[in-house]
Amino acid sequence: MDTIIIFVETKGDEVRKASMELLCEGARLSAGGKFAVEAVCFGALTEALKDKLLTLTPKLVHFTDASLASYSPQGYAHALSGYAREIEAKMIIAGATGIGRDFLPRAAVILDAGMISDVTAANWDNDPLTFIRPQFGGKVFAEVSFSASPVVVTVRPNSFAMEMPEGVQGEYVERSAGLPEGTIRTRLIRRGEAKPGAVDLTEADLIVAGGRGLKAAENFKLIEDLAALIGATVGATRSVVDAKWRDQADQVGKSGKTVSPKLYICAGISGAIHHIMGMDTSKVIVAINRDPNAIIFNYANYGIVGDLFDVLPAMTEEIRKRKEKG
Amino acid sequence: MNIVVLIKQVPDPEALVEIAASGKDLNIEPKFAINLFDEFAIEEALRLKEKHGGTVKVICLGGPKAIEALRTAIAMGADEAALIEDGSFAARDGYDTALVLSGALKKETFDIILCGRQAIDADRGEVPQMVAEFLGLPHVGVIVKLDIADGKATAESALEGVPEVVEVGLPAIFTAQKGLNEPRVPLITGVMKAMKVQIPRFTLEDLGVPKDVQPKTTILRYLPRKKRPAVQFIEGEPAQAAAEIVRVLVDVERVI
Repeated sequence: MDTIIIFVETKGDEVRKASMELLCEGARLSAGGKFAVEAVCFGALTEALKDKLLTLTPKLVHFTDASLASYSPQGYAHALSGYAREIEAKMIIAGATGIGRDFLPRAAVILDAGMISDVTAANWDNDPLTFIRPQFGGKVFAEVSFSASPVVVTVRPNSFAMEMPEGVQGEYVERSAGLPEGTIRTRLIRRGEAKPGAVDLTEADLIVAGGRGLKAAENFKLIEDLAALIGATVGATRSVVDAKWRDQADQVGKSGKTVSPKLYICAGISGAIHHIMGMDTSKVIVAINRDPNAIIFNYANYGIVGDLFDVLPAMTEEIRKRKEKG
Repeated sequence: MNIVVLIKQVPDPEALVEIAASGKDLNIEPKFAINLFDEFAIEEALRLKEKHGGTVKVICLGGPKAIEALRTAIAMGADEAALIEDGSFAARDGYDTALVLSGALKKETFDIILCGRQAIDADRGEVPQMVAEFLGLPHVGVIVKLDIADGKATAESALEGVPEVVEVGLPAIFTAQKGLNEPRVPLITGVMKAMKVQIPRFTLEDLGVPKDVQPKTTILRYLPRKKRPAVQFIEGEPAQAAAEIVRVLVDVERVI
């Protein structure tokens, strides 16, 4: 049976969402009997997290090397490709996260393997097996097959349904990659502080985004209030990032982040193609704009033609009322 | 300090992209530009040269038209440019592209290679890291700051939400993210120079890399983006419209 390796990223006591989605998909495939699935993770792993992972995957392979405690592209690429070669895996699959997209191309070269990056769907039952991935910022999608085995695949977060598997009790294996001295030639000096509780845009289920229509940096409070109430992450357009109203990390679009949430609410955003390219795979898009002819409405499921300074607080108030009622 | 910048000529972000009737090709409006992230890479190379001395060489793999992208790089201030001319560059996957580029780089001497973090046409974001692995070099991805001192680089990487400061010995490869710098607009003197300069073209045979395209992945067909149903406008005064959209999102779409 062909083996698929799922690369799992963890954060403290949590499985990263992008990895969780793959584990759910992997458990489904494993139950289908067509593939054997193994999850691989690096670095520290708490008991609670280990127990959680073992309910999600038939086999968890944990590399405990000190050299893998923090991320390095060379360390991760060599350790993962080494294991894939050892077990003759058919496929490595990982979240198309910053880290996943950074080191897996190196792993593909080490394995002399093909790579399919940032896929949004898989046709597991097709022969040949194919993946769908956006190109040109989502203007078109390509159906891609691979001739070489193994193949290395990264999957855009929010592409696979998160249906928790039941009755899985995985096997736990501890390993060492034993990377030769000098494999890793980058050194992490320091890591910045994460915003507490903030879900990264690329993995967020809910996003509230604002553009020039907010008129001033301080007016983003209207966006933040609504976002905080529903547990959404705040996004922004290129022009407001360039105007220094928001951090670069908040930018959605061609030169910023590509997002795929269940709900994308955008206010005061006209719909420049640069922005659309970053959010067009969102499931439900709600646009609020004063201009009934704004291009953003061509890409939205629901539109409200109105002043965001009235509509946003009214939405926040309405949700608060509903929450109070329970 | 010798710096090589790898660039790609891509369709302008505004260019129309349509799927051909066969479903296997794309018809792309012929408006081209330097890949936007590559402009940050060129600019950073020029700034490093201004600070530390040395040369900046820009290399592009592409069709004959890509010479225009290299002229733009010369106009910005690059010392040298070279085109690896390959009519079938578009059929290459990331691995195959990186194989050709690393073949070309084996003939160069450099301390630093700069690339954009992703090309905005194929959107793969694979090639710089693959080139690094083919050449056995370290890389730091998605950088927003780069300092060089004592044969070492200190780079700030914005791979994830949290910035990381990474130290690496040279030679090394870096991929540029927006925020690294503000690319300069070429001066008229630069444009004049770029118009006159002879840009050497190399074939794959010249570089001793395999001419045949043997991609490990193949695009079987193109599919249109999923069409969203026509927008439903929610009417009424702000309070009414707000109540209605919240009702739809909670009860109908069940997303909040």
